[in-house]
Amino acid sequence: MFKTAFGRQFFASVVSVVALSSAAQADDVFKVGISAGLTGYAATVDRAWSDGVQTAVDTLNAKGGIMGRKLEVVVEDNRSNPQEAVTVYRKMVSSDEVNLFASGCVSAGNAAAAPMVAKAEIPMILCSILPKDAAWAFTTLPPAGFEIEKRFEYLRDKTDIRKVGVLHDPTPYALLQKDVAQKVAATYGIEVVSVEAYKQDDADLSVQLSKMQAAGAGAVMKIGLGGTTLTAAKNLKQLGSPMLLLTSLEDLAVFKPVAEVLGDKFFFVASPSQVYEVYPDGGLKTAIGEFLEPWRAKFGDRDPNWASRGWDSIMLAAKAIEAGQSFEGSAIRDNLEKITGFQGTTGSYDMSAEKHQGISTNPFVVAQIIEGKVRIAQ
Amino acid sequence: MNPAATSSSLPEVAQPVLDVRSLSASYGHVEALRSVDISVGRGELVAVLGPNGAGKSTLLRAIMGLIPNHGEVLFQGNALTRRKPGAAATKGVVLVPEGRGIFGPMTVLENLELGAYSVGRDKKEVERRLTSVFGLFPRLKERFKQTAGSMSGGEQQMVAVGRAMMADPKVLLLDEPSLGLAPRVTGEILDTLGALSQSGLPVILVEQKAPLALQLACRAYLLSLGRIVATINPREVKSHDELAQYYFA
Amino acid sequence: MTSSPSTTLPEARSAVQTTRLPLATAAVWAVSAAIVGYALIFGGYAATIISFALIYAVFVSGLNVFMGLTAQVSFGQSAFAAIGGYSSAVLTTTYAWPPLAGMSAGLVFSLLAAWAIGFPTLRLKGHYLAMATLAIGLITYEIAVEWESVTQGYLGISGIPPLGIGPFEAVSDRQILVVLSVVVLVIAFAVKRIQHSRLGRSFAAVAGSEEAAATLGINVARTKLVSFLLAAGLASISGSLFVHVVGYVSPEVFGLHMVILAFSMVYIGGLGTVAGPLIGALIVSILPEVFRGMKDSQDLAYGIALILILIYAPKGIAGVAGAFDARRAA
Repeated sequence: MFKTAFGRQFFASVVSVVALSSAAQADDVFKVGISAGLTGYAATVDRAWSDGVQTAVDTLNAKGGIMGRKLEVVVEDNRSNPQEAVTVYRKMVSSDEVNLFASGCVSAGNAAAAPMVAKAEIPMILCSILPKDAAWAFTTLPPAGFEIEKRFEYLRDKTDIRKVGVLHDPTPYALLQKDVAQKVAATYGIEVVSVEAYKQDDADLSVQLSKMQAAGAGAVMKIGLGGTTLTAAKNLKQLGSPMLLLTSLEDLAVFKPVAEVLGDKFFFVASPSQVYEVYPDGGLKTAIGEFLEPWRAKFGDRDPNWASRGWDSIMLAAKAIEAGQSFEGSAIRDNLEKITGFQGTTGSYDMSAEKHQGISTNPFVVAQIIEGKVRIAQ
Repeated sequence: MNPAATSSSLPEVAQPVLDVRSLSASYGHVEALRSVDISVGRGELVAVLGPNGAGKSTLLRAIMGLIPNHGEVLFQGNALTRRKPGAAATKGVVLVPEGRGIFGPMTVLENLELGAYSVGRDKKEVERRLTSVFGLFPRLKERFKQTAGSMSGGEQQMVAVGRAMMADPKVLLLDEPSLGLAPRVTGEILDTLGALSQSGLPVILVEQKAPLALQLACRAYLLSLGRIVATINPREVKSHDELAQYYFA
Repeated sequence: MTSSPSTTLPEARSAVQTTRLPLATAAVWAVSAAIVGYALIFGGYAATIISFALIYAVFVSGLNVFMGLTAQVSFGQSAFAAIGGYSSAVLTTTYAWPPLAGMSAGLVFSLLAAWAIGFPTLRLKGHYLAMATLAIGLITYEIAVEWESVTQGYLGISGIPPLGIGPFEAVSDRQILVVLSVVVLVIAFAVKRIQHSRLGRSFAAVAGSEEAAATLGINVARTKLVSFLLAAGLASISGSLFVHVVGYVSPEVFGLHMVILAFSMVYIGGLGTVAGPLIGALIVSILPEVFRGMKDSQDLAYGIALILILIYAPKGIAGVAGAFDARRAA
């Protein structure tokens, strides 16, 4: 009998948990759901994103919410896995009955859940690339070309280097960027002489780097996140290579040891919030300032890049709700599509029915860390 | 003097059912069996004796094709393919392996039914064989529902022999059936083997307890370091000392 | 487990008929049915979890045939789920095949792959197969990532049509749950039949002792291969079911975590039992949800619960139920 009692107990717990969570709503808070990879490969980015969303929600609530309605965040860990993502999305749709998703950077998870979320008519504003069926999805992600173009621009304007190697990992965003690099290089008078792939857990990249050097590359354009940037830097030093290293956007904490290895041969793409102090004055700087105040109050020196986009996702939603004077999912969706010239912390957003990836002007700069301080590269 | 000379006084093997000629086998570089010749005919029970590590189990496993080997094994005059393990069994050469090899979690009945694996779906035939095995070992009939692993050592050995009999063997090979059994139980099982042999079934019995085996055997091969060093007529072995002489020759 | 022997003496047969019903095992089925029934009635989030659990039950049933009935080890069954899943995904989207055709093609590909891996390795004793399967799981994952022109890499394939035959499609939660429940029941019934068939006996014999099995005339290598093919086939079907239910596939779905999850399910449910894969899949899928409210402690609580089950029910839930029934019957 022990066994069946066990079974009953499990069943009873499930019943109570599900029942509890469905009873907990029906009050009039506006619920924002986040499917985030709090654990797994996306953890750094998605934790920052979630905290950015939470910061925006807290800030809005302090001002009385949106149109007098308070906001509440429901965050679920998808373990950076698409199957888990479907489960947590479904939980937030059915049990928590969230009104909006502001989900993280696990592209596969967002893509897997997109049809179900669309069926529930809940708008989603994402950190990741857009799912194929993007009728209900919007993203704060800058177009794949921006990070590439800034680097080419820098090489063209400030150096004599005209041949580069592209080093990328196999993630969807990195692949998109690689394709852009090959396509647009010529318009900057630059030639991509070598394209090499690596994996996120590779412990040595010297083979790829040697090939690039042999092909005559004067700079390495690295596309992809994580510890491999430091690996590449160490390998370049071991090889005694004269090549410059230009990496994509990343948490500043990752870059500090890299700068110690390569010094002034190391460049990276930085978002405006990462170089706030040295960024030129203007609307963008003001917008970032509004975010950085509560962010720094709570998190101090922590990198603001992904968090600032999480913040943007909530501010975009607030704008759409106020414009339509409605909390209805379809109204939010329609009004998100009408947003133009919205000044966010990562750039200005222009949406339309055809364009759900809103950032349209390139906000990035190429930066360096010299003597421990982040600077815009000269 | 070489004790092997006694072989001259042995009776001729009428028509061997199983005739093993220059069978060799090795484990890696270690030659475990070197050019062994033995044979068994209808109604005969032959014993293979020898100290630990002499190659007795290896001999049976080589005959069954369970280990790589070369040489010739003639079964009813035809060469037995020994490349595929299990091929010998389907022809009717059946081994009761060392340590019995019964399936502990299964019931006695399930173990016995597996013995008749090569019969296939002919339920009548399986039932006929069950009846005869239960006749041989009435105790198994009483306990057919019990899991084999929960039985005593002697009963487990009965299951092992019974399971082999379910295959309707043409030759029965046994690897140390007395291992770990009380003398009384051992006697019971050996008596059954004797009776089976009397009824015409050729039996090859590998044993370390030589005196027991010699009581039953019509002929005994003495194996040492992988070779047959003597063929003995049990009726001519008069004392323990004489047997010891073979062991240490 | 008590089992009515297929051939017994007349006296023996009457003895078998007087044994009492296996109540505890029936209770395991009843609990499983209640959990699925709950999801059917209330739908929502529970429906998603139970759907995934049922898909896993199919996968774990295959693993159970290979590991439980035949006592072999494979760490790479996720490879066959991936082959099935990607075949279904690619054939139904890029080539617009109907789901059942895609699923069948995936099954054929999986069986061919399983044969190619199993045929050489299953003749060897020891852990060659386990190592080979571990490798094949990783290789398949890499192929899914790298073969972008077909699999679209990490981006994944979306827009996969729902399960269906002709004009009938399983779109709603309830339809999906019903289809999956039927599939799981059919498979459980088939496993039960296999267990008591000649093939099942040869699996058990190989599980008991390969050498003893060989001495009985059982072709050990072929028996292991058949078991491996059955496991691969069920894994392939589960992969296809997954992509049709979710409508999306990407490599991470068939990663190492799938193998770890399936191992937990097969041990929690009860290795070598018929009801084990289902109850194991249900429990292992539900437990994390029960503890979801605990946020950061969720994994810890889930881990403790698994360990407690394995301490108090080392043979798994269905294993304990079977032993309980056997004791009552004795």
